[in-house]
Amino acid sequence: MLKLNKRLSFLAALVFIATACTEPDQEIFDAFTPEQLANSNNPVLTDVLKASAYQRIIGTWGGHNSLWSMHEVSSDEMVIAHKGADWEDGGMWIRTHRHEYGANEDAINNSWVYLYSAIGDINLLILQFPEVEALTAELRSLRALVYLWIIDSFGNAPIITETSADATPPNNTRQELFTFIESSILDNIDKLSTDNTKTTVNKWVAHAILAKLYLNAEVYIGSERYADAKTHIDAIINSGQFSLTNNFFANFATQNDGSPENIFTIPYDENNAGGFNLVQMTLHYSSQASFDLQEQPWNGYASLEEFYNSFEDGDSRKRSFLVGPQFASDGTRLVDASFEADDPDGAPLTFTPEINELRPNSLRQAGARVGKFEYASGSPSNMSNDFPIFRYGDVLLMKAEAEWKLGNNGVALDFMNLVRKRAGAEPLSSIDADILLAERGREMFAEGYRRSDMIRLGAFNDAWWEKPASDPSKNIYPIPTAQMNANPNLEQNPGYN
Amino acid sequence: MKKFLLILLVLTVGFQGSLLAQTKTVTGTVTGGDDGLAIPGVNVTVKGTSRGIPTGLDGKFSLQASSDETLVFSFVGYITQEVLVGNQTTINITLQPDFAELDEVVVVGYGTQERKEITSSVASLAPEDFNTGNIPNPTQLLQGKVAGLSITRPGGDPNGGFNIRLRGVSTFGANSEPLIVLDGVPGADLNNVDPNDIASIDVLKDGSAAAIYGARGSSGVILITTTKGSTKDGVTSISMNNFVSIDRIMDRVDVLSPQEFVARGGNDLGHQTDWMDEVSQTGVSFANNVSLAGSFGNTSYRGSVNYRKNNGIIKGVGNERINTRLNLSHNAINDRLRLNMNLSMTNRDYTARNNSLFRYAKIYNPTAPVYSRENLEQFGPYFQRNLFDFFNPEALRRQQLFGGSAKTLFTSYRAEFDVLDNLTASLQYTQDRLQDINGGYWSRQDIQRGFGGGGIANRSTNENLKEIITGTLNYTTDLTDDLKLTALLGFERQQRSFQGFGAEVRQFLFDSQKWNNLGAGAIRLGANTNLYSYKNEDILNSSFARANFTYKNAYFFSASVRAESFSGFGENEKTGYFPAFSAGAELADIADMGIFNSLKVRVSYGITGNLPPSATLALPVLGNGNRVDLDGDPLTTNDIFVGLNQFQNPNPTLKWETKKEFDIGVDFAILDGKITGTVDYYRRNVEDLIFNVGVPIGAANPFDPGNFNTAGSTWVNLADLESGGFEFIASVNNISIGSVSWTPTLNFTIYDKTQIASLTAGEGLGFDFIRPNGTTPGSPGQNNNPIIENRVGSTLGNFWGPRFLGVDENNEWVLSAGLDELDQFEIVGNALPDADFGFQNTFTMGNWNLNFLLRGSVGHDLYNSYRGFYENQDPASNTWNSVVTDKTPGVVSTPTFSSLFVEDASFIRLDNLQLGYNIPTNSEWLTKLNVYFAAQNLFVITNYEGVDPEVRYTDAQNGDGFTSALSPGIERRDIFFPTTTLTLGVNVNIK
Repeated sequence: MLKLNKRLSFLAALVFIATACTEPDQEIFDAFTPEQLANSNNPVLTDVLKASAYQRIIGTWGGHNSLWSMHEVSSDEMVIAHKGADWEDGGMWIRTHRHEYGANEDAINNSWVYLYSAIGDINLLILQFPEVEALTAELRSLRALVYLWIIDSFGNAPIITETSADATPPNNTRQELFTFIESSILDNIDKLSTDNTKTTVNKWVAHAILAKLYLNAEVYIGSERYADAKTHIDAIINSGQFSLTNNFFANFATQNDGSPENIFTIPYDENNAGGFNLVQMTLHYSSQASFDLQEQPWNGYASLEEFYNSFEDGDSRKRSFLVGPQFASDGTRLVDASFEADDPDGAPLTFTPEINELRPNSLRQAGARVGKFEYASGSPSNMSNDFPIFRYGDVLLMKAEAEWKLGNNGVALDFMNLVRKRAGAEPLSSIDADILLAERGREMFAEGYRRSDMIRLGAFNDAWWEKPASDPSKNIYPIPTAQMNANPNLEQNPGYN
Repeated sequence: MKKFLLILLVLTVGFQGSLLAQTKTVTGTVTGGDDGLAIPGVNVTVKGTSRGIPTGLDGKFSLQASSDETLVFSFVGYITQEVLVGNQTTINITLQPDFAELDEVVVVGYGTQERKEITSSVASLAPEDFNTGNIPNPTQLLQGKVAGLSITRPGGDPNGGFNIRLRGVSTFGANSEPLIVLDGVPGADLNNVDPNDIASIDVLKDGSAAAIYGARGSSGVILITTTKGSTKDGVTSISMNNFVSIDRIMDRVDVLSPQEFVARGGNDLGHQTDWMDEVSQTGVSFANNVSLAGSFGNTSYRGSVNYRKNNGIIKGVGNERINTRLNLSHNAINDRLRLNMNLSMTNRDYTARNNSLFRYAKIYNPTAPVYSRENLEQFGPYFQRNLFDFFNPEALRRQQLFGGSAKTLFTSYRAEFDVLDNLTASLQYTQDRLQDINGGYWSRQDIQRGFGGGGIANRSTNENLKEIITGTLNYTTDLTDDLKLTALLGFERQQRSFQGFGAEVRQFLFDSQKWNNLGAGAIRLGANTNLYSYKNEDILNSSFARANFTYKNAYFFSASVRAESFSGFGENEKTGYFPAFSAGAELADIADMGIFNSLKVRVSYGITGNLPPSATLALPVLGNGNRVDLDGDPLTTNDIFVGLNQFQNPNPTLKWETKKEFDIGVDFAILDGKITGTVDYYRRNVEDLIFNVGVPIGAANPFDPGNFNTAGSTWVNLADLESGGFEFIASVNNISIGSVSWTPTLNFTIYDKTQIASLTAGEGLGFDFIRPNGTTPGSPGQNNNPIIENRVGSTLGNFWGPRFLGVDENNEWVLSAGLDELDQFEIVGNALPDADFGFQNTFTMGNWNLNFLLRGSVGHDLYNSYRGFYENQDPASNTWNSVVTDKTPGVVSTPTFSSLFVEDASFIRLDNLQLGYNIPTNSEWLTKLNVYFAAQNLFVITNYEGVDPEVRYTDAQNGDGFTSALSPGIERRDIFFPTTTLTLGVNVNIK
């Protein structure tokens, strides 16, 4: 018996020693492996993965410190003033406003990361399902949309496709990016769906991508492509899929997903897809009571007085701003308990279009706030309003611009006045770059296009309130320092160091 | 309990007369063989009984004993003597000093060694060396006692943990704290052991000593051995330790009084409130410990119960802990088979409050009332204003509640069998389990968070399980008459698993159920709600061997190697080898060294490793993305799924981080052991430090062909670091000053601070510097400027920013660079200390003893965030109260970071003071009755004007534990204020 025990224990010891000397495998319990995905027969998996790739562009487009923030604050329609220490944040929002931004700005790096993480995910997915033609066509077109944002923001940046193997890819030129976007769409547009989902890249979205690309061709590659722009704009208009809403603000309501004006939106959702935080970014701390918000707002983004004044009083779009006395949801007047002694409006909360100074001590109540998007009662910091990327109202103004550039001023005016008429504004009888830019400002306020419009229509380097004339090198953002550090083959854009 | 003690005392005194019949009175004097002076406090006991008495101030004693009894004279630092009473009535004794306390047994990895044979840097402490007072955490026992071991807890949160650093910052990767080995179990949870149950603590400081723990030894190893049962047959000893202590706030931050605030232009709200008084209290804590030890037959046992209740200085912050431990040993087959069982169970309940309570108490408007009826419905009976970052501290204290409990269960079974007389096999199996459950509640009326959500509650629970099985073979033999060999061969398998789940819901009708009824929360989806579960597991398989050679009992050599295979590395990188060598010679045994009674020179070299922070970094796994609604229609729910995205860039080439450490040291005893000490010099090089490095996002992943970078950073073997240091510890033993015996011990460490040799990862990846994103001062207004730069070729933890030049005529400050002129920024300080020191003093006089410990750090800077945000008199200071220091330049500029707020935080602290008295007893039962008074953190001397000048090795605010080691030196505004603790205790031993 004793002998047997000895043998058993000897055996047990051997087994233990053998186990202790093996290289253990890593088990995964709560994450998903590529093998699991490849072996799945769940019919919705492909759809879920595709939708997941779209989630990358939902990301932070409408949040603070984002691409949207850069586009808005560098333009003449939005500003973040210093309220003492509040919003100083290393001075980056003043630099952005004054076109003094450098390669270290967080928001610029965030934008890059946002755009290229989508590129990475899309490429992974194309590799995973190379044989599903409709899917890869859609993903390649979605990638082209992301590159449209890249060519517009960064100009010279690496083109990375599913076949790229370079771990440290160098910049491509803006011309190369242009050609890549153009061919990505042209090669795939016929394979795209014609279902008007408004949230996936279909045929109409592909036309809109090309329309934007060609309309900005002079900026991007130095040659005019207005006729091509017109072709693709017309394809959208003539599709019969889209129409103007009667009420301008229906496009920005919390439940705006059914708007016939939407061509492509980012379907933000307070529960499923967070990231659109405008309610926090623009409203005053005390405004929490106006909309019974779940969180206290940050009192940041406001419009410039001059921009506010570019809206005529009869133009219903002027309600895109929150100005004047502010009230709680129960109708009582809101009070700013910490109002400044020199604030002419005193304690009761009143948004004034005038901002006393950009820094260091902007009054806390100063500045017209963004009121264009509906703030749902009881909203959390993540709003549910879908964010329009391509909207029919925009397409009509693009049509006007393309026709004007092609010399068809009459047609141009007709389309511009279509948009004005919907807003209850008097029709205009002449058109030039300034008029067009002002009209686009009124229609497209806070939709993230102002910077691009100002560059295209030649106003971005002008001086405006608290901003001197700036150098054209500021018309593209610098390659972020963090990216330059991570990738030695990247070259900085001209004018930055 | 007190009543019981009193009865016991009465009984003892009452019975002693009758028990001590048949005896005579023996008197005498005890002197020291070194200086011939009388020694007070020598224990004179009658052998085989528990009768005894200490010698008086004059070294004299007198006690009852019979002729056939033997007296035992024992005193720390002297060789114990025994004398048969016989017919003597006067016994004068000369005790010889014992230099060779050096002969003590030291616990090393997987075994013990004679102190003399140790050839690496190991520090050992016994209970008499420990700090006293209200010490719930075992590591605190060592604070200031071991050269090179820094133990800090900035602030005084009773629920907070300690930062432990051995020899400075060894790595800024994962696991920068030493490995805790509890009774042979690596990686044990310190919450499992009560300080009362500790028999010894050994600190393996250098690379060669720690290398036997291989991958987990890079930051040093602390071995804790708990007290075992008595081996004396049938003797039961009972020990009881009880204390009560009070904590008082140590407030070093001055703010304006209500009058000053109004005079300065602050918004006058018409009241006077001391917000610190409102939220804080004098914390009363107590602890009771009872242990029982004894043996019967071949079985010995020790059981103990420890109860502690700690109340913090914020009303409602505290914890209550009960810990039970049982050590059971049984010997069989003529003691050839030794079985040991070690069980420990701890339950700890805690309550906590918002971390930023002190911050709001400091800066809330001092003229605001605490209570108000104006927002009764919305915010309850509290004064509130809807301003940015402005919350009534008392409301915050009452309307946000946190609490929970943690249970640990440690079970370890060990069998040792002497296969041959010189060959011992052992097998040990351990389960170390931690289960906690936590809750948080934000009232419907809590202005900061709960109000918006209609009341928010959460619960979470976690279970961590470590299973370790270890087998060893120990073999000793005499190779020749002079050459002895001790060999060790071992195998170990460590499996760790972490799992848990949690939920958060909102919108409640009532506050009173807190987190106890999540079902009453109406909204379970969207903002301020949560539902998750997780599980991770990893496995570490190891085998190790060690050989120790002793030649002529004067030359010593040791070599070891450990092979480790970790499940979490890539297929070809799982196994690493960690060798070590050390050698030493006792020169005093080789030649006459004059005044040196002992002079041991030793040199060692060892390689240790470091595990990655997660076990899945090598694998291309996908995680949960956003919820996706496939048809976009929220009314149809059968097409909603959670998306899948790859959130980490896999790196299958990830391999072991290694640390190579060279150590040369001397242990000495001179003047007949009057002076003993140790000196060490070390250099350490960390290579292939595991860290996440920025990669070109979107581009091909060079480590995993066919994959793309979907995250901005990849975990790689990145950096090389170099550091070094000089350590010194020496004691002068028992200096006699009249009847007082004084033993001072000084230890200090001079650091050669950690230098960054490289930040290169291969594949074209790497940095010139790292400015961790999270190291900005924070909101409001200072979110975008990192203040720490770690640059290649430079020291870790440099403060980086504009230099303060002065103040102009408008009371605006002048800085050396604008906010965006990064190329003009300068290094304006460094967060790591040049030196640490501890100065321990022990005085004994008869039955009295007095200990105190002065501890300090020199040469480190801290960013004072209270000043950095609240010192300037910008317009915001009309709302917020201001910090007042003599450094205030009366500046009106908006606060931004500059050298102005980086302060030298060198300090010296009276860390620990204890006055004890052994009440003499002649009782047979009552062998010890000791009362003591202890004070902790009685004062601190420093020029630092912030809350606590303690060194900050990590950033408390940076939630990411890995970059936080790259941003030391930041005193955040939500630090829990430190305390001064006064303790009154009594220790009783009964046999």
